[in-house]
Amino acid sequence: MPRSVQPPAPSSSDLLQGTLDLLILKTLALEPMHGWGVALRIQQVSKDALQIGQGSLYPALHRLEYRGWIVSEWASSENNRRAKFYSLTAVGRKQLDTELANWDRMAEAIALVLGRREATL
Amino acid sequence: MKLRELLTKLRFLFARKRASDLRDLDEELRFHVEQSVQAYVDEGIAAKEARRRALIDFGGVTRTREAAYEQWPGWWMETVLQDVRYALRGFRRNPVFTVTVIVTLALGIGATTAVFSVVDRILFRSLPYAHDDRIVSIGLSQSLEKQEFMLGGFFYEWRDNQKPFEAMASQSTGPTSCVLAESIPTQLNCISAQAGFLPMLGILPVLGRNFLPEEDRPNGPRVALITYGLWKSHYGLDPRILNRLITVDGSPMRVVGVLPKEFELPTLQAADVIMPLALVEAEKQRTQNGGIGQPMRAFARLKPRVSITQAKAEMEPLFIHTQETFIPAEVRKDFHLSIRSLRDRQTEDVQLVAWVLLGSVLAVLLIACANVASLMMARGAARERELAVRSALGASRGRLIRQTLTEAFLLSMVGATAGLALAQGLLMVFIAMAPTSVPFLDKAHLDLRTAGFTVLLALVSGVFFGLIPALQKPRSVALSARMTHSGRHAFLRLGMVVGQIAISMILLSGAALLLRSFQKMETQNLGVQTRGVMTARISLPGVRTEPIAGLVSKKGQTQKDIFLQVEAAVRRLPGVGAVGWSDSFPPGGGWQNSRMYSDFAVVGKSRSSERSGGLVRLRGVTPDYFRALNIPIVRGGGFTEEERGSSELFMVLSRLLASRLFPGEDPIGRRIGMGSDGTTYTVVGVAENVRNGGLSEQDIPEAYWLRRNVAEDWGVPVPVMVFDTVLAPATVSPWVRSQIAHLEPMAPIEIETLNERVSKLADRPRFETALLGFFALTGLSMAVIGLYGVTSFLATQRTQEIGVRMALGANRADILRLIVHEGARLLLLGAAIGVSASLALTQLLKSLLFDIGPRDPATLGAVTLLLAVVALAATLIPARSAMQTDPMEALRCE
Repeated sequence: MPRSVQPPAPSSSDLLQGTLDLLILKTLALEPMHGWGVALRIQQVSKDALQIGQGSLYPALHRLEYRGWIVSEWASSENNRRAKFYSLTAVGRKQLDTELANWDRMAEAIALVLGRREATL
Repeated sequence: MKLRELLTKLRFLFARKRASDLRDLDEELRFHVEQSVQAYVDEGIAAKEARRRALIDFGGVTRTREAAYEQWPGWWMETVLQDVRYALRGFRRNPVFTVTVIVTLALGIGATTAVFSVVDRILFRSLPYAHDDRIVSIGLSQSLEKQEFMLGGFFYEWRDNQKPFEAMASQSTGPTSCVLAESIPTQLNCISAQAGFLPMLGILPVLGRNFLPEEDRPNGPRVALITYGLWKSHYGLDPRILNRLITVDGSPMRVVGVLPKEFELPTLQAADVIMPLALVEAEKQRTQNGGIGQPMRAFARLKPRVSITQAKAEMEPLFIHTQETFIPAEVRKDFHLSIRSLRDRQTEDVQLVAWVLLGSVLAVLLIACANVASLMMARGAARERELAVRSALGASRGRLIRQTLTEAFLLSMVGATAGLALAQGLLMVFIAMAPTSVPFLDKAHLDLRTAGFTVLLALVSGVFFGLIPALQKPRSVALSARMTHSGRHAFLRLGMVVGQIAISMILLSGAALLLRSFQKMETQNLGVQTRGVMTARISLPGVRTEPIAGLVSKKGQTQKDIFLQVEAAVRRLPGVGAVGWSDSFPPGGGWQNSRMYSDFAVVGKSRSSERSGGLVRLRGVTPDYFRALNIPIVRGGGFTEEERGSSELFMVLSRLLASRLFPGEDPIGRRIGMGSDGTTYTVVGVAENVRNGGLSEQDIPEAYWLRRNVAEDWGVPVPVMVFDTVLAPATVSPWVRSQIAHLEPMAPIEIETLNERVSKLADRPRFETALLGFFALTGLSMAVIGLYGVTSFLATQRTQEIGVRMALGANRADILRLIVHEGARLLLLGAAIGVSASLALTQLLKSLLFDIGPRDPATLGAVTLLLAVVALAATLIPARSAMQTDPMEALRCE
């Protein structure tokens, strides 16, 4: 993972409360992934703008698992190492939809407040 | 979704695969780091540097591991269990410490719980009435009777014109004994109350109903309420008791209701049956003429948000108005309006005793906690290195504090459990030695409330001594092998020892003062012989209800006949000396048997103008009374047997009364008029003073009138018998009993020695003294143990220094001085604080003390000396072992 030249990225603690959960759910929606993969994927997709602090990634993964939104199983990684893969459950998928809808509502609301968009009504 | 969540939780809780979960977590994190390392290596960075960077990127693997772990439900249970296991292992390794802590706590918590369950009812617990905080006792107070009472005329006028109360109702002055006719007649206590009495208190019968107003009038239907206790003991809780006719004192009455189990009279008197008071409304008119009115006890419920002070201010004009109507001007000054909370009425001076006991037992608890905290700190110092190691290994402060708190809680909970058992035992002792004059004591027991109090105490003490050693951050210095015990908590520990000494000094002073006062009370000269003197009280059943002289019993005999027959029968017994009658026994006597000094009018002298000349105790006695009690007649001849047959009235004065009525004159043969009907008594003797104001009160002048052999002299006050005997009470009692039973088979008899009676009067002070003494000694021993602990701790710390000193030529005496000096400094400071605090605090005991000042220098001096000797002895033990230090050994241990 290249990180030699890199603007200071916002750490996860700067992320909006609950956003990390949303990002993880969205990332896992594509395919089952291990923790390292999730971190990498988010960083890549966000073009390095979001760098997930590993310190908060694993507690988040365990929290989501305990809530029943994701499940984990041990499997072989790309380089044939044993790794713990997380995948979205049906409940998790529903939760993702809910959170996405919330996110949209929130984004729209913030845009309205900031005057970036006319009220659509 | 909820179900799913629940199932997951359950799976996590019960899967019992914590260890493998943790291994999984570790592996997961390791995988992550290795991927990260691989990424750097792929960028061409050397393996070692790559690992370094990966770890920096990750930041605190342990921290993440813990954070992830803490996402799991019930994770804390695991750590708590861990802490508990760890603590238990520690306790097992150090049993002396553990047992000392638990015993100390058990003593502190046990004593506090026992005392709390006693004083709870006196000071805090609500009374068993609705709106109990608004119930007041209302009435007149007067020098003869401190407990407020009410008179008929006052009651109606106040009830009809008052504003501050929602309700006002009265009961008769006290229960009278009555006989319930069953297959075996039972002696009960009956009392009368108004129909509005129970509603005013907010009490509903558990069965049936209260009196109706139309039942609460003279010649109304005879109805009764019975207590739950009587319902249970006599009628087996039979619901058909309602409307049943029971026969009380020979007349039938209908049971209309049963009182609740927890019901008690506001006066706390025992009663089994309540009947309507049936006041005559015309009483008002009658009292105007008679001037006194029917006495009763009145209670009222304040309107919401009306204070007692307000109520008193509002009632004052009404009181003055009524007083002007009913009380003759010359004695008005002696009557006061009294309104006070029911709790004050019930507990009176016991409240002070209760506060003193609670205060002293809390002081003991404080000493116990200080000792335990001190022990924990000593242990903490020894464990500092261990804590520092754990801290360096990444355990958070919170984690370490949690560990210490777990230990403290475990100890305090075990201590509390042991304390609860101890409290139960102590309570049984308290009740066994309980004087009847401490209200509620016999009912004290451990219940949820007191158990809750214990748990709270345990928690508070747990936090208190658990937190102190945990508060300071473990220092990395402690990791160094050369670490020596510094005095990091030393100041706190020394302070606690000083505090302990001061507190136990206060406790000891209080206990010693009570003890001295009690001794003085016990050994004071009563003026009568109590050894070998017996007393007997006979209740004549046939004439009980209206004990008016001359009333005829079933056998056609008057009371006088029966009493004289009893006297003759007892006289005939072998070994019995003088047999006399009185109506009460010294010391004491009661206000019913007293008259105002101003009632005594010496014939030929102008009547005393002193309206508040105090009380004169009056006793109706027979000639042998003085002989039986060995009261010397200092002037004149006293009563003679011949005078008993006389139609004249005779009187013997106490020396005190004689000197007041006849200063510098000879009273023999003078005549004294009593009351308004012009009866006059001839003075035939002066008897030596006798302590008759009770054990602890001022002496009261006394007048004896002769009970002659005429019917009207043998009514109220009902006579009691006193006789002296050379035989053992156990021998005489059955004889007397059988003699009386022979004459009146149904008459209940109480036989007691005068010694027993007198000793009962000292019950309260004995109880107070014993309790406070017990607490003081407990406190003292703990404080001394604390002092010993600190001194020996300091001495061990200085082992090396002592070794050096000895190597340089210090002799044993120098070492002794060195160690004792340390302890003595603490002792001196503690004692100084203790003495000054005692001087201030023992002032509170003033009203409990007899014939001794609250700052009695001899007592305080003796206490200080005792404390000093015991405490110095405690410092000598470590000093002795310090003296035996082998200098070589001490230096080598470095």
